[in-house]
Amino acid sequence: MNRVTILCVEDEPEVRDALVRDLDAFAAVFRIEAAEDAEDALTVVQECAAARDPIGLILCDHMLPGKLGADLLVELKDKPETAPARKVLVTGQAGLEDTIKAVNNADLDHYIAKPWTREALHDVVRKYLTDYVIDEIDDLLPYVSLLDGPRLLEAQKDRSPHE
Amino acid sequence: MTRTAGRSNPVTGSTMTRGRWIGLAVAAAAFTVPCVVEFPGLSVEGHRVFSIFLAAVVLWITEAVPLHATATIIIFLEILLVSDKAILATPEGFTPPSYRTFFATLAAPVLMLFLGGFFLAHGAAKFNLDRNLARVFLRPFGTSSRMILLGLIGITAVFSMFMSNTATTATMMAVVLPIIAQLPPGDRMRTGLALSIPIAANVGGMGTPIGTPPNAIAIGALSQAGINLGFLQWMLMAVPFVLIILAVVWLLLGRFYGFAGKTITLSIDSTFNTTRQAKIFYVVFAGTILLWLTEGIHGMTSSVVGFVPVVVLLSTRVFSSKDLQSIQWHVLWLVAGGIALGVGVGKTGLDGWLLGLIQWGEMSPVAILAMLSVVALVLSTVISNSATANLIVPLAMTLSVSEGITISPIVAAVFVAIGSSLAMALPISTPPNAVAMSTGAVRTKDMVVIGALVGAFGLTVFLLFGQWFWSAVGVLP
Repeated sequence: MNRVTILCVEDEPEVRDALVRDLDAFAAVFRIEAAEDAEDALTVVQECAAARDPIGLILCDHMLPGKLGADLLVELKDKPETAPARKVLVTGQAGLEDTIKAVNNADLDHYIAKPWTREALHDVVRKYLTDYVIDEIDDLLPYVSLLDGPRLLEAQKDRSPHE
Repeated sequence: MTRTAGRSNPVTGSTMTRGRWIGLAVAAAAFTVPCVVEFPGLSVEGHRVFSIFLAAVVLWITEAVPLHATATIIIFLEILLVSDKAILATPEGFTPPSYRTFFATLAAPVLMLFLGGFFLAHGAAKFNLDRNLARVFLRPFGTSSRMILLGLIGITAVFSMFMSNTATTATMMAVVLPIIAQLPPGDRMRTGLALSIPIAANVGGMGTPIGTPPNAIAIGALSQAGINLGFLQWMLMAVPFVLIILAVVWLLLGRFYGFAGKTITLSIDSTFNTTRQAKIFYVVFAGTILLWLTEGIHGMTSSVVGFVPVVVLLSTRVFSSKDLQSIQWHVLWLVAGGIALGVGVGKTGLDGWLLGLIQWGEMSPVAILAMLSVVALVLSTVISNSATANLIVPLAMTLSVSEGITISPIVAAVFVAIGSSLAMALPISTPPNAVAMSTGAVRTKDMVVIGALVGAFGLTVFLLFGQWFWSAVGVLP
C-alpha cells in the first residue's frame, strides 16, 4: 500500500525489458510496472488504484499499437489517479505536432530520445520522482537515499512531526 | 505548471487506520476508569482531570490522533468538565477556573517567545541565511576530516539553538549528503558524519529557551508558577553542559568512525541574498537575538522580545500572509496543551494526589532529580520529547514545592526538559534521528550505541554538576 509506482508503456518486448532493467535501481522503494499498450496501461492504473499505490511517473513510448503515446498521456492526465503523475515520452518517432500536443494537453514533463543511456534515464527519473513526491507525499524521508536527497530534506523541513 | 493542489491525492491521502481506532478506544477506556473507580483522597474535580490526564497519556503514546490534536482535546475537555463553563455541575467548595484560563494557554507568553523563534527560523530558510552561514563558518575548519567533523558539530549545535532541531538537521544533512555520496560505501566516516548532525542538533537544542519545545514547556510551567526564567539565564544554565557533551561526541565519533588522518573537501554553493527584504531580515535577526541576550539591561522579557520579529517582519512586508501561514502553529498548540494540562492538574489537586502515591520524602534531592530525568529520558526515547515534557513537567513542578522536598522548581522543570532532549537512542526517538536514518548511511545499531552513550553521559554530567554550577553562577537562589 502507498508504494509510488513507475509505469512504463512500451510495445516491443526487448525495449520494455531494457527499460525495466535500467530502472532496477529504483525497485527498492518504488513499484515498477510495465504495460504493452494503452489498454494494458489502463488496466495497470486500475490495479494500482485498487492496491492504493499512486502512480508517480509514466514513461511512455509514442508508437503504440492502437493508440499513440501522446494521446494516451492526454487521457491519463484527465484521470484523477494519474493526473498528478509526471509524464515522460520515451521515443524516437514522435513528430513535432504530436509532441506539441503532449506538451499542451498532457502536461508532458520531459522527452527522452531513443536510444537512451542508463545515466540520462536515471537523472530524468530521479528529478521527476523528486518533484512528484514533494508535491504528493507527506513523509519524504523514505526517498532521501534514492532521489534528490538535499532537495527532499529542504522540503521536509516544513512538514516534520513534533520533536 | 499546476497539478493537484498540494498533497490531497485521493490515492495517498491519510486516514484513520485500524491501529489508530484501537488507540482511540484505549484512550476512551482510560478516560472512563476514574469515572467508575473512586480513588480515596482524590477530589471529584481531581477525578475528572485524572480522566483527561490518562486519555492524554494514551493518545500521546499511541499517536492515535496527531499530538497537537490531543492538545486541543485536553483544552476542550477541561473547559467542559472543570471550568466555570463546565457542562457538568462542579462540586461545592471547588472554585472552577474561568474557561478563559484554558483558552488563554493557546496564547501563553512562552508561545510568543517560540513564535519569535519560528519567525527567525522561517526567515533564515527563506533567505538562505542558514546555508550561507554554514558555508562561512565551516571555511576556517579547513580540510582535515576531524576538524570538519568538529565544525559540523559546532555549527549544527549553534543553529539548533535558534531553529528547530529537525529543520537544523535537514539543512546540515543537505550539506553533508554530497560528502557522504563521494565516500566509498564501506567507509565508516559516512556513518560518523550522518550521526554527528542529529546528535549535535538534539544536544544543541537544549541550549536556549527556543531551541526545542520541551524548553518552552518548562519555561511555560515556571511562568505559571510566577517564576521568570530569562533567555540568558537559560543559556547560562545549559550552554556549558552542551559544550562538554559536544566535545565528548566529537571525540567519540572521531575515534570510532575512522576520521584520523583523512581529508574532506566541502563545497557549499550559495551566495548571500542582498535584496532589501533580506537585509531587513538580517537586521531583525541580529537585533532580536541581541535583545534576548540583554534582557537584564532593557527589562523586556524574552516573550515580549519574541514578538519583535513578528511585528517588524510583518509590518515591513518582509513576511507576507503566506509566510505567516507557513509557521508551524501545530508545535505551539502542542505546547499549549501541555500548559493547559498543567493548569488542570494543579487547580484540582490531582498533582498532589498523584505524587502522594510515592514516598518522596525518603529520597535525596539528587535521587529524585535522577528519577525524574531518567523517566523523561526513557519515555521520550519512545514517544515525542514534547509530549514527554507535557506529561512530566507539571508533576515535577508540584513535587519540587511539596513538603519536605528541597529542590528548586527551576531545577525540577529544567531537568525534565533536558531528560527529554537527551533521548536519542532509537530512530523513532526524535525526528532528527529519522532524518539521519533516511540517508542510508547509519545502521540502527550505530544509533543505539552512540545515542545511548551520549544520553547517559549527558544526564550524568547534569546530575553531578548541574545544581552546583547553577548556584555558582547565581541562577539559583
